[in-house]
Amino acid sequence: MSIAVGIDLGTTNTVVGAVRDGRAITLADDGGRRLIPSIVSFHPSGKVLVGDTAKDRRIVDPGNTIYSIKRLIGRTWGSDEVERSRRSFGFELVEGPKQGVAIVARGETYTLPEISAFVLRRAKQIAEAALGETVDRAVITVPANFNDPQRAATKLAGKLAGLEVLRILNEPTAAALAYGQSSGQNERIAVYDLGGGTFDVTLLDLSGNVFEVLATGGDTALGGDDIDQLIAERMAMHILENHRVDPRTDPSARATLRARGEVLKQELSAREEATCELNDVVRGHGGDLIPVSFSMTRAQLEKLSGSLIDRTLETCRFSIETIGIKLGELDRVILVGGATRMPLVVRRVEQYFQRQATGRVNPDEVVALGAAIQAAALNRAARGKAKAPEPPARPASLSPAAPPSHRVSAPPQPAAPRAAPPGPLLAAQAKGAPSVPPPPAWVGAAAAPGPTAPMPGSSSPKHDTIVQSEAPEIERAEMGAGSFDFKLELPAPPAGRAVAPGAPHPPGPPPAPQKKPAPPPAVPSARAPELLVPVAPLPAPLLIDVTPISLGVEVAGGFTDVLIAANTPVPCDRTRVFRTASDGQTAVIVRVGQGESRKFAENTTLGDLELSGLKRAARGDAKIAVTFEIDADGILNVRAKDVDSGRETGAKMHLLGTQTDAAAVADMVARQQRHTVG
Amino acid sequence: MSGVGALPFESLQAWLTAVGDHSYYDILELHGRATSADIKKAFHDFAVACHPDQYVDRDPASLAAAGEVFKRGVEAYQVLSRPATRAKYDANLAKGKLRYVEGEQEQKKAPAMRTLEQIAKTPRAKQFAVKADRLISVGRLDEARVALVTALQDDYDNDELKDRLAVLYEAMALEPL
Repeated sequence: MSIAVGIDLGTTNTVVGAVRDGRAITLADDGGRRLIPSIVSFHPSGKVLVGDTAKDRRIVDPGNTIYSIKRLIGRTWGSDEVERSRRSFGFELVEGPKQGVAIVARGETYTLPEISAFVLRRAKQIAEAALGETVDRAVITVPANFNDPQRAATKLAGKLAGLEVLRILNEPTAAALAYGQSSGQNERIAVYDLGGGTFDVTLLDLSGNVFEVLATGGDTALGGDDIDQLIAERMAMHILENHRVDPRTDPSARATLRARGEVLKQELSAREEATCELNDVVRGHGGDLIPVSFSMTRAQLEKLSGSLIDRTLETCRFSIETIGIKLGELDRVILVGGATRMPLVVRRVEQYFQRQATGRVNPDEVVALGAAIQAAALNRAARGKAKAPEPPARPASLSPAAPPSHRVSAPPQPAAPRAAPPGPLLAAQAKGAPSVPPPPAWVGAAAAPGPTAPMPGSSSPKHDTIVQSEAPEIERAEMGAGSFDFKLELPAPPAGRAVAPGAPHPPGPPPAPQKKPAPPPAVPSARAPELLVPVAPLPAPLLIDVTPISLGVEVAGGFTDVLIAANTPVPCDRTRVFRTASDGQTAVIVRVGQGESRKFAENTTLGDLELSGLKRAARGDAKIAVTFEIDADGILNVRAKDVDSGRETGAKMHLLGTQTDAAAVADMVARQQRHTVG
Repeated sequence: MSGVGALPFESLQAWLTAVGDHSYYDILELHGRATSADIKKAFHDFAVACHPDQYVDRDPASLAAAGEVFKRGVEAYQVLSRPATRAKYDANLAKGKLRYVEGEQEQKKAPAMRTLEQIAKTPRAKQFAVKADRLISVGRLDEARVALVTALQDDYDNDELKDRLAVLYEAMALEPL
């Protein structure tokens, strides 16, 4: 069985992690680098360079070196962010299919998921080399505030890279998972995630092994890159004032300034003042390079970037107000993202939350670690499907104590008699419950304020209550035995011998090492203390994540009718009945969008939903029930049913910016195969 | 791990068959006086038992069924965890309504079939009324509204036509453009 990896596909850098020998680790390339710059360069040889080699080409070959794609993925042509990027990017952006964005490099046009796919292929390569195994499944992270097309495009990128995407996971949730695993306490956590191109804040409730996201908010167009850009602007002004040459007119010089800006910013995180030489940026009127030296103090940088940080804190305030808690009710603040290395960010965040922040050790890698943990948890499916001969059973001591057949952890019963819980869930089929489900009961009497009389014709299946009373004990037994242990199997097995993974069903340990021997725990890698997630046997993490943005349809007057509100747990759905407005009407068109504005035009339009083939009837008589589902990846699915006949009706979602056409996807896959990545 | 997502397919399926007859309190196994902390705890327990991620190692049918079960729990949780929606739900529950529908409106009986073309009196109005009829029949209500308003400009004292414009506005409020 293949290992599933977690990939933090960042705006600036990409990191790949895996759970190996019971530990979540990030994986390095042969040069020991764990951060893969998310840069793709189309080399004249036809090879596609990704990472550090591509980064070097940003200056010599700016037109064919693509960066910061995450800022544009899933956006529509003509949107503000795309327009801004067109002005500042050194490569050419063109309108892609379905009003999406595409880039042109070496005469060929590529959609953005194709570019991200090259980065993901490199991540896959690095993981396969580091793990010595095939990697074809992954959890890929996205900013929590990514909308439907951004998530769908990221998922498509994964597919193009030859990966089965087990989950599109929110970055802050991944970070909380990596840190929260170690605490094992009940906590309320805020995750402040300032990455290269995006900012997110997520508030979570951690109780036991359940991570419930309470609220998430953010800005998908704000990040550390903006600070680099501000510094680059300062550098350009400095050159213009002193040498009367504007370096911003030259794409290559612009790219150089941005790169130097980034370095300067990083240096200023470590010291109070830094200088950088810009000797290779501009030429004078005689054609000679002009030597330029640029200095900046940390105080100057902080003044420059202060308003950006203020914007992030404003988002935090809004999210906290959304869930109606006070700042003091938060137990922990976790910092994630490279930009949180800036002393100013740490200071302002700690000041705002009135407590010391955790997670300053390696904010760049924690998201990939969390993604790796989730990948391991979700990769259990592979075990049952694996064609390889079944591995030996787990040691008896690790097997589940009892065949799981009851609902876990039924809450203590209220004092008032409960007639019937939604029976069938608790119905013990094995105990001879009738094959036809018993008529469900109306439970008004005790369960709800209101009527005390049972509804006519209902009865209460007795066995439900019996089963339920047994539940608490079963719960303890199961939780102990069925825990999702990331534990290192000790002692380490002899080299070459596989650690026994679990039986196919029930599943055993997470993707346990199959070929590689476990390294002796006494010899951790040099960076181990920072990178490891604790190895104690931990219960399975269960993430209950939310949809970050409200989903709605357009109604008269250009207003939005919200179907699924922001911060609703996923997966979730909502069914809405649409009626025809006129006699004989046979089609309805519904505009679907995401956003928090009452005015539909201010939100992001996802596309048009076309309901067709309705029966001819008097107006209002043709009724179509449309179910809008947001799946665990945060991606919208729609299906429609005729209310009277119960039959599925034609429902076509014409999505903007997202390529879903099978033939087009096949073309993209073929194009990926024409390029080697390195 | 399988200890948690362990409900057999038949149980999930039977639960789904019966869920329409249960209140949100039943779904989360809560009593009417449950506090917000009780509701949260109940939802976590429900998620541990029914979240589809707990079923990834199971057959696709069980996985899908768990997803459907979980979505009903989310619906219950969303309504019960907010005091305002919970109060409305409780009031409706007392009348026997088990499912909460936001801004639910009673459907009005559609009047007898008569096309806008038949209603319009002047030739020019008829011309736009025909257009409006056609646009409405393909669901392009906003464009139909424009056509109907244009028709009314020529046939300004046609009350029946004005009524139909009002109905169109109403339909657009109930339904998307």
